Amino acid sequence: MSSVANTGATADTRRGTEIIARSFGWHHAEREKPAIASLDLEIPAGQKVLLVGPSGAGKSTLLHALAGLLEADDSEQSTGQLLIDGSDAFAREHPVGLMQQDPETQVVQSQVADDVAFGAENLAVDPSIIRQRIPEALDAVGLGMLPLDHRTQELSGGQKQRLALAGILAMQPGLMLLDEPTANIDPEGIGPLRDAVLNAAQVSGATLLVVEHRLDAWAGHMDRVIVLEPGGGVAHDLDPQRLIDDEELRAELSAAGLWVPNYLPQVPTAAIEPGELLLEADQLVSARTGDSPRTQAVDLSVRAGTATVIRGENGAGKSTLALTLGGLLQPAAGQLQAVEALANGLDASSFSWKAGALIGRIGSVFQEPEHQFVTQSVREELAFAPLRAKASGGHELKYDPAEVDALVDSLLARLGLEHLAEANPFTLSGGEKRRLSVGTVLAAAPQVLILDEPTFGQDANTWRELAGLLVEQLEKGTAIIAVTHDEHLASTLSAGQIRLAARADQAPAITRGPVLDAPVGRSWLAKINPLAKLGAVAAATLPLITTLDWVSAVVIVGATLLAFPLAGLSVERFLKRAWPLLVAGVIGAWGIALVGQDSGAVYAQFGIFSITEGSVHGGIATGLRAFALALPCILLLATTNPSDLGGALSQQLRVPHRFVLGALAGMRLLGLMVEEFSTLGLARRARGVGNFGTVAQRIGAKLGQCLALLVQALRRAGRLAVTMEAKGFGLGERTWIRTASFTGRDAAVLAAGIVLGAAAIGAAVLAGTYNLVWG
Amino acid sequence: MNQAAAKQRNGWRVVDIVTASVIAVASGVIFWAWSAGYGLFSLAFAAFPPAAALLTGVWLFPAVLGALIIRKPGAALYCELLAAVIEALLGSHYGLTVLISGLVQGLGAELVFAAFRYRKWNLGVALLAGLFSGLFAGVSEAYILAYYVEYTPALKLFHVVATGVSGLVVAGLLSWLATRGLAKTGALSALASRRAHLETGKLAAK
Repeated sequence: MSSVANTGATADTRRGTEIIARSFGWHHAEREKPAIASLDLEIPAGQKVLLVGPSGAGKSTLLHALAGLLEADDSEQSTGQLLIDGSDAFAREHPVGLMQQDPETQVVQSQVADDVAFGAENLAVDPSIIRQRIPEALDAVGLGMLPLDHRTQELSGGQKQRLALAGILAMQPGLMLLDEPTANIDPEGIGPLRDAVLNAAQVSGATLLVVEHRLDAWAGHMDRVIVLEPGGGVAHDLDPQRLIDDEELRAELSAAGLWVPNYLPQVPTAAIEPGELLLEADQLVSARTGDSPRTQAVDLSVRAGTATVIRGENGAGKSTLALTLGGLLQPAAGQLQAVEALANGLDASSFSWKAGALIGRIGSVFQEPEHQFVTQSVREELAFAPLRAKASGGHELKYDPAEVDALVDSLLARLGLEHLAEANPFTLSGGEKRRLSVGTVLAAAPQVLILDEPTFGQDANTWRELAGLLVEQLEKGTAIIAVTHDEHLASTLSAGQIRLAARADQAPAITRGPVLDAPVGRSWLAKINPLAKLGAVAAATLPLITTLDWVSAVVIVGATLLAFPLAGLSVERFLKRAWPLLVAGVIGAWGIALVGQDSGAVYAQFGIFSITEGSVHGGIATGLRAFALALPCILLLATTNPSDLGGALSQQLRVPHRFVLGALAGMRLLGLMVEEFSTLGLARRARGVGNFGTVAQRIGAKLGQCLALLVQALRRAGRLAVTMEAKGFGLGERTWIRTASFTGRDAAVLAAGIVLGAAAIGAAVLAGTYNLVWG
Repeated sequence: MNQAAAKQRNGWRVVDIVTASVIAVASGVIFWAWSAGYGLFSLAFAAFPPAAALLTGVWLFPAVLGALIIRKPGAALYCELLAAVIEALLGSHYGLTVLISGLVQGLGAELVFAAFRYRKWNLGVALLAGLFSGLFAGVSEAYILAYYVEYTPALKLFHVVATGVSGLVVAGLLSWLATRGLAKTGALSALASRRAHLETGKLAAK
């Protein structure tokens, strides 16, 4: 594979590349049919093309082929030719930009400027040229107002996509490929993203290929529409205006699930007959955890057979409210009462119900279907809830096994999933997963059904089926609550609405749990080379391993405390970070005091164990040493950005950059995964898994939750790898815009660490407490 | 076997690197969730603290899981070391020694996979890798890092055996089961282990 050429062309000479496919075909490993067969296509340089087709038409495969990401080995076969400006696409001689639909995996680095530079660095563009391109690229996508060190984690989905686009622009590609760029972002983000894409195409002159199933946003701005045929070539090649004028074409495309402009699938509107009161919220305030942001107070009466939609801007806490109404979160303030008609013998607080009792009363459908899959087949998935649902009082089973079988069969038929009954839920298509996730919750026959963005990102066919299913449920007397932006859905369900505004008195939601790229501040230590700090901490603490005495440990602890002002750490911030270490030190000391070697006076006796003078001294020394080993790391962590550390490792210690940058890209997902882990816990409770069971059940539930986390992690890893490869990662030598330097000051820090380590050991030797642990 | 095929089998692609990294990060999250509950477990062992070694396997699974999924030389070492880095970054109470532990534990598993020339990924090899990872951890903690210098010789030996058993069960068996479970979901489709669920469950299968 030859490296991607980059000539550093100026704006005047840049232009798009021409694409030619001649009988091109591609057959994925382990698939029966080819993804693309005999495709003939010519796209002149600079053209803007909308590429559409039903799912399975090979659109993504074509984009990946053009981006040079498909690798032919024995089992994957390519036929015919695919040329970019006359040269084979697989040779990657021209920079090509690719954007996929998941915003989280389109961003690679933790700071804005680093992320824009990532692709250009991989193409070995001169760092001074990259630094010029960064502000230009950010301006072109409408993110010029962001500080260059802004944390990418804090951007919205639409902004992340625009940032990814800026990174593509900085590579100066002749071809930009966008794979459903707006599918995973909120409606208000779509317009700005679309405009950013069009502007990027304008300033770069690049040829533009956009795959979308929602055509309204794009149709009016493109030069040409190409419709692909599943497993074949081009079905239609036409002027975008015909998407609006040509009724026959519109009917054909909408039947294939595409959202043609101004098309709304029609489902008979629900006839509403309000029934009895089920659930009542009075000044209800919701929050994910005790210290996370709170929503506005809400009043709501939920009656059988009625629908309510929850609307509101991003960050208002709509999903959090839905989780609280679903009995999955405890109300932060106010009242939420399940009326006897719903509680049926249980307490009025739905949060206190066991999972099995909850699912038969209130069902929650999460936004991501995969979060709620708990078994290995579609059939088991549908049988899971009815087999566990508890009847009145919350003890007896609601159904016997024969009833469950019949129920599952009828659900399979209703959902159109009969042919997939034995398939693994995770292997279904997006629309099938969505239908199944609704079906699994309906299987427990809850009286209240709560859905979070049920129609988000779905094609028109799935929309029609979902809306039909929900109307049916309403008319059966189920109460429906949906968080949705979809007005057509709200009117089809004849829904009332509550609007949630973001509370003005609080900061926007921040990521909970640990984050790795927290700002490191501007303290003196923050400016020191990360390797120098790492070396100093190692030199100061590792000698402690050789001895078990309190003198050396006290020297290190004391010196570290004196250095805290250099790191800008206050006592309060220090205690916040250090308390687990203190606890661990005490627990360690207790363990040794109990079982350590005994000598001297006996203080206490528990069976075969005794606490003696000797074992207590040993315990104290062990606890102090653990503390002394860990404390200096706080200085390092509080003042070091992992990206800087990675850069220094790669540039100064010659650690292979593919592994360093791969690790950093993975670490950026940490905060996201922590959040996902807690969401998984809730999503699985909503399926009847988890809390309040026996110890074995709880361990099983936790293991399942870990496995579910790994599935999501692997999916993201796959998408992130595609993003990084498309940005030229791993092709060869790269350049760095962050250069690591090693100055006299850095050397002084390193030397101080070495001196400290020696001083600690020296002090212990002088005091006569030094004792070699291997002696 | 020709050299090109060997290189293709043993060389790391971008997707291998990113997947290994993300597995290590997800392991860090699991450590984090685990350590929140770990205090409770530890309290249960307050009557006989050395028994807490039976829980060590939780810290060893990234090595075996990473190798079983990526199937490349160095995967066990890389995943365990990176998971240790994440643990250190999240504020581990072991300080930088956690990196040494990560290296040692990863090495234990890595040597087993290397001994089978990175060609066998069956249950037996997984159990052996978990066991060695545990033994390496136990020996280094009891005799080299000397966390338990005050233990009596019998207790040190108990510690090594307990970490070995824990590694065998938690890191070995659970990782092997997890790999099969993951393969069934199609989440491994881009990786060398994509057919892991179709491989036989026999101890010494090819």
